[in-house]
Amino acid sequence: MLRVWLILLALAGLASAQVQVRISGWGGTDIAIVNGLLKEVVQPKLDRKGIRVVYQPIEGDYTQWLFNALSAGTAPDLFYVDIFWSESLFASGRVEPLDGYFSKQELAEFLPNLIQAFTYKGKVYGIPKDFNTLALQFNKDLFDEAGVRYPNQQDTWETFEAKLQQVQSKLKDVAGLCVVADFARFGAFAFATGWKPFDAKGHTVLDENFRRAFEWYTGLPRRGAARFAQDLGEGWTGGCFGGEKAATAIEGAWIAGFLRDKAPNMRYSTTFLPLDPVTKRRGNFIYTVSWSMNAASRNKPAAAKVLKALTSPEAQQWVLERGLAIPSRRALANNPYFQRPGKEPELNRVVFQGSGPQGGNVYPFKFLAYGGDWMRPINDALLAVMTGQKGVDQALRDAQAALDRLTGRR
Amino acid sequence: MGAKEAVRRRWAALGWAYGLLLAFGVFFVAPFVMGFLASLKTDPLEWPFRLAFSQVSPKNWAAAWRLGQAGSGDPWLGGMRPGRQVALEVVYFVPRGVEPTLLAEIPRRKPGAGMGAVFETPYASDHVTLEGPIPLERRPAHQEEGEIIRYRLVLRYQGEGPFLERVPLDLEAPRGMVLVEATLDPTRFERRGRVASWDNVTPGLLGYVFHNYVRAFRETRSLETGESLFLRWTLNSFFLAFVKVVTTLVFASMAGYALARLRFPGRQALFLFMLFSMMVPGQVTFISNYLVLRDGIFGLSKLFGVETLLNTYTGLILSGLVGASAVFIMKQFFESIPREVEEAALIDGATPLQTLFRIVLPMSTPALGALAILTFQGTWNEFFWPFIVLTSPREIYTLPIGLLSFRNAYGQVGDWGLILAGGFFSMIPVLILFAVFQRYFVEGVNVGAVKE
Amino acid sequence: MRIKARTLEALYALLLLLPFLFSLGVFFLYAFLRAVYFSFTDYNLFSPPRWVGLANYWALFQEPSFLLALKHTLLYSLVVTSLQTFFALILAIALNRPLRGITFFRTVYYLPSVISTAAASLLLLWLFQRTGLVNQALSLLFSHLPHLAGFALLFLGLQGALVLWERRRGRRTPFLDPGLAAVSLLGAFLGTSAFQAWGLLQAREVRVDIPWLPTRASFLGLPYPLWAIVLMNTYTTIPTFMVLFLAGLKGIPRTLYEAAALDGATPWIMFSRITVPLLRPVLFLVITLGLIGTLQLFDQVLFVGGSGGAPLESTITLAYYVYGNVFPSGATPRVGLASAAALVLAGLTLVIVLLQRRFGVGERGWS
Repeated sequence: MLRVWLILLALAGLASAQVQVRISGWGGTDIAIVNGLLKEVVQPKLDRKGIRVVYQPIEGDYTQWLFNALSAGTAPDLFYVDIFWSESLFASGRVEPLDGYFSKQELAEFLPNLIQAFTYKGKVYGIPKDFNTLALQFNKDLFDEAGVRYPNQQDTWETFEAKLQQVQSKLKDVAGLCVVADFARFGAFAFATGWKPFDAKGHTVLDENFRRAFEWYTGLPRRGAARFAQDLGEGWTGGCFGGEKAATAIEGAWIAGFLRDKAPNMRYSTTFLPLDPVTKRRGNFIYTVSWSMNAASRNKPAAAKVLKALTSPEAQQWVLERGLAIPSRRALANNPYFQRPGKEPELNRVVFQGSGPQGGNVYPFKFLAYGGDWMRPINDALLAVMTGQKGVDQALRDAQAALDRLTGRR
Repeated sequence: MGAKEAVRRRWAALGWAYGLLLAFGVFFVAPFVMGFLASLKTDPLEWPFRLAFSQVSPKNWAAAWRLGQAGSGDPWLGGMRPGRQVALEVVYFVPRGVEPTLLAEIPRRKPGAGMGAVFETPYASDHVTLEGPIPLERRPAHQEEGEIIRYRLVLRYQGEGPFLERVPLDLEAPRGMVLVEATLDPTRFERRGRVASWDNVTPGLLGYVFHNYVRAFRETRSLETGESLFLRWTLNSFFLAFVKVVTTLVFASMAGYALARLRFPGRQALFLFMLFSMMVPGQVTFISNYLVLRDGIFGLSKLFGVETLLNTYTGLILSGLVGASAVFIMKQFFESIPREVEEAALIDGATPLQTLFRIVLPMSTPALGALAILTFQGTWNEFFWPFIVLTSPREIYTLPIGLLSFRNAYGQVGDWGLILAGGFFSMIPVLILFAVFQRYFVEGVNVGAVKE
Repeated sequence: MRIKARTLEALYALLLLLPFLFSLGVFFLYAFLRAVYFSFTDYNLFSPPRWVGLANYWALFQEPSFLLALKHTLLYSLVVTSLQTFFALILAIALNRPLRGITFFRTVYYLPSVISTAAASLLLLWLFQRTGLVNQALSLLFSHLPHLAGFALLFLGLQGALVLWERRRGRRTPFLDPGLAAVSLLGAFLGTSAFQAWGLLQAREVRVDIPWLPTRASFLGLPYPLWAIVLMNTYTTIPTFMVLFLAGLKGIPRTLYEAAALDGATPWIMFSRITVPLLRPVLFLVITLGLIGTLQLFDQVLFVGGSGGAPLESTITLAYYVYGNVFPSGATPRVGLASAAALVLAGLTLVIVLLQRRFGVGERGWS
């Protein structure tokens, strides 16, 4: 009899104490990651606290869905925020600042660059769940065949270019690198020179440093070190690389999945981007996604607990071990996973380290609240110079004018 | 002009006419045929485009059938079961001066894009052991300096274990050594010809020829239920098209009849307004309609416990009950029927409702048939509005939206074979319908065009 | 009593019209009025709309991407409509004869129209890739230009010789006598093959490498990706309009042509003096339908853009501009601006329809 009562009591207790926390992210491969994470790591921990996590992945246009759900008041308690459009969302006031839920110490356990990326007007609005940076992938077979030494982390733009030139001239049908007219790649080189996307007043100035990187990058095809990706029928450097049309690529860890399909047997290796010969530094982007909290959430304390569980060391360890994403905690830098043999752990290690001191001048992949509009003038300039429509002077002048209009300078 | 010559000229003209018709026919059909052929290839973008490729060679059909049979007992879709073994032979040319070392491996391979990257399927390398390559025969080559070596590889699945959908294989040879012949042609060559790679050495006939189709079907699955999404999307499209056809036929006849036969104040104004509504593009109204559905049609849906009608079929159906053009078509048709038929019934005291459903509609089957086909085709192909309303989860997509998500999932990796296969897969149902009802399709155009 | 019958009839009408009135009222009238209202406000779905007067319209015509979308839409619409009307007419005239098995051909020709825009767009994506079928076919064509030239010359030469020979024998033979042309065709084909075999004609190494999709290059004001969509859309809509023309052609009495033939009219005269004037109503209908349909181009833009496809700047259309501003990727929605753009699109459509009413004849003319 007593047992029956105890069970009934326990059930009643469970039923009354259960709090539901709804979380959402985009679909694709993330569904498997979050599902697994919830089942194996997060939910067992939260069961004791009486919190039930309901996960609703969003297929289709995620930002469209999120902005509308927030406006209609139907948004979940926690959701993904991509760094690229984070500021326009944080500015809307619909996202809860997290400083009240996370102590300084807790925040310091994450990579500082990433926390900085989600800080808006002095407040932290998201806890990074994972991230990516750019790295240099190279095809060992092609370098062996051309008899050229592999690129390494001591390479500067000049020595790197020399190697590309050799590969391209030895193997007629292979480009050293295929370059794209995209700030998302070129920007890393511009950052290496010490150039900053915005000055203190929030204006963009394409200065001498920017110009130096611009001339080097756009001149690669002319100097026989690279080909324009479009001329090889590809839209990104990874496409050329996977089709063995180029010996190197400049991509993040996302290239691994692509190569698994396109060229599962390719012998490739990864190193850091080359150094600017003048500043002896590199540059890099941080692409990252956070878990953020709905400001209109009805159970914020519970949501905060879920958020902590989702970004806990155990959770990140779980994700890392499966090679699914690169974790955002500092303590994982020395994780044994990164020391495993194989091309994918190596790629992930280099990408992880790219966010820190070895990455050099690292900036998050966001441009205030301008989004893609800010990159467009620079992309147009890159394209115009690479296709020979404009000279460098003209292209940069035009880009500067367009950026001035956008940022309200002059 | 002699009679004989006139006859000759007429025959020649006929020949030219048919020649021209044939040429047009080739123009209209060729892209589909070529696209279909390409959808069978491993690389649909190969240059030059070959008409004779591995997937259409009878030698490979026979081998795929045999290997599928040996691997799992299923010659169609293949795979491998415990206790089975398959054997493969490959022939290499080894130029003089090259050491013939052939390395074979069953790779641990997993798709990198789409849902295939998500599902945990057993790895063949954990279960299947590889024996070989064993050199069977060496003989000097005829054309070039060197020798020809024939190898044999045996794959054994010993002990207990799961059913394996595919068993991949890699053969790595030093530079210069060339694969001349294989029981089954490799899926692709990698590392500049050094590695010959098979995605599946036990494909079965369908699994080999329709490789991309099988992948599209298998890898696009629902995460919750594991059922094929392609099938789900097709059923969804059918369901929505069917409902729309029914509501359109019923409500358009009702409204069309009222507009054609009954007198009521504001009839002319309503008619003109209807014409106006047909000219306004959907981009104008979708913003408000989206908001209306989001709020559950002025909160009405909350009475039924539904917060929002977005992502529901109820919302999609309610917002598309009947189109103005369908009403217009029915009105025009009813006006073409002589009044006398109905007057007798009306004199007998029948209500307009009874007249419509008992007398007029049974006479209207041609118009209803054409309207049904027209509506079906329109709904089946409709993209914009369902795309706005149905965003999540993937299980509720219609076929066109599903195709877009499919295209986005595989476009980045450039898996055009898979994308093409998805496109052709989606064409099958409507092609069957077209084959059956082709006359109505063609006639429906004329009925529909009257609307403007 | 009489009034009562009237009221009853009106009540019945209301009953019958109810579902339609619901559709029309909620999803059209209300929506349309709201769109008009939104177009005068600043509205982002978050905060309530704020009245701004004509500011959105003003901003619209300052915005480069809108002007680009407008330009693309108008040009695209013009090009596709002319191409599809022209080819559909030609095809309909070719098909409009009492030939055995003509229904079979009609069915086959109709095939591209059955396919959904989604599936057609997937086909398009493949056809217009860098090494896709279109570039391959063009390469094949250009590398065999010598053959084509040789073939054409041989054909003309043979035909000329044959016709001269016939005329010398006193027969009034037109230059394009079908019987002789068949013989010349065969001769030209054999001759070209022979030249090829002797090595007199050789295929050149030509590789056409047009980047149809991932490019911002444009031709005659339209970017390449839109040209790809033009070609594909023309291809899939020709059959529909061909069927319309066929119906129109059926309405033209054969006796007219026979009488003209007796008067010695050439085919061109018959075409321009009989076919076109009598087809005028259908022609206007086809042009209007074509313009309205093409102004709303959206699906293909979505499919052709995206990863592995074309940049947005090269494909943006008005319909896409509207969608993209209501549901922007990672920015706050600009519903006011989008509504204004949508009304511009509606205005364009309305102008076209009014023009057609003004100059063309409505459906009365031919049905």
